Amino acid sequence: MNFILIAMILALLIPIYEAWQDNSIWQKMLAFASIATKTSIMILVISVLRDDWWIGVVAVIILSVGNAGLMLLAHLIKRFNEV
Amino acid sequence: MIEFFSYSCIVIGIIFWFWGTLPLIGKRSVLFKLHSLSVADTLGSMSIVFGLLLKIPSEWPLLLLAIITLAIWNTVLGYVLAYCSSGGGEQ
Amino acid sequence: MTDSYIYIIIPLLPLAALMLVFQVNPYHALVIRAILGAVAALVYGVLGAADVALTEALVGTMLAITLYLVAVRSSLVMRLGILQEVEAEGEIDLEELIVNLRKILNQHNLRLEIAEYPNSQALEQALMTKKIHATCTKGEPERDRSYHTAIRVRRLFEIMETELTSPVTTLSYVTVSNLEDKH
Repeated sequence: MNFILIAMILALLIPIYEAWQDNSIWQKMLAFASIATKTSIMILVISVLRDDWWIGVVAVIILSVGNAGLMLLAHLIKRFNEV
Repeated sequence: MIEFFSYSCIVIGIIFWFWGTLPLIGKRSVLFKLHSLSVADTLGSMSIVFGLLLKIPSEWPLLLLAIITLAIWNTVLGYVLAYCSSGGGEQ
Repeated sequence: MTDSYIYIIIPLLPLAALMLVFQVNPYHALVIRAILGAVAALVYGVLGAADVALTEALVGTMLAITLYLVAVRSSLVMRLGILQEVEAEGEIDLEELIVNLRKILNQHNLRLEIAEYPNSQALEQALMTKKIHATCTKGEPERDRSYHTAIRVRRLFEIMETELTSPVTTLSYVTVSNLEDKH
């Protein structure tokens, strides 16, 4: 199972690198969307591995809240770019 | 048998992750990246969670909730991001 | 706690923090702050602190980013006061000047806000009471430049002095009597 997690970490590094090197704010938002999903899935995998219910519940909440926050942020950035 | 299925599901999910994330690096348009990211990320994540569900069925409510959340929210998020980024790009 | 992946996950936190520190553009820094929040939630979750991870995701990623975005947006602004009659004439010079100002301010991640005032007394009053950062008025007719821009913020004046090459306006720095030092 350790190999699976290490592969997931490698997949997580790609959007982090992208967020660092790209200059457009929407590309950064995409990278953030990717990171938000990946981190919460990783927390979920770890919680299942350890058979820890609480971390699992938190992972699901983070999954939905992260997405909601992302939509809010996207709308705010759009509004602020317009004016 | 079920062990094998669950592992293969998880591995397929990780392959999907890489396949969807690798186009992020590069000079493609935001919409192209968003498409590959939303499709491959959501499918990959759902496949991983499904693999976990096969492996440890005792936590099924949690994992089912995760799958539903992924399916709904990530789709909506894809639309919202596409709408916002294309609207902002024209200005 | 001998899982080897912990040692790979934890360095992600200082990595994201360094990315945040070296980011220049405030809006990009906000997005990276959100990434830092996601990575921090991951680290806390891996280390077993479910409550801390939840707090980080809710407050650090959602609430703080939204509030900071509003704060950054409303503080990084230069308010320029002009007279209504000047605006009404719709002169090309003034429009060109405003376009120039916008361009320079955009390079410094600032916005330009135009505020109109009915007469020059009200304009002066607004500058003195710090409602606006700068005024743009018609200069004396004998000078070859038709506008005069007075700026009361030192740093803004320095930026404009070095970068504004518009032949339309003269620049000056005005000191406003104030109780506190910062604007």
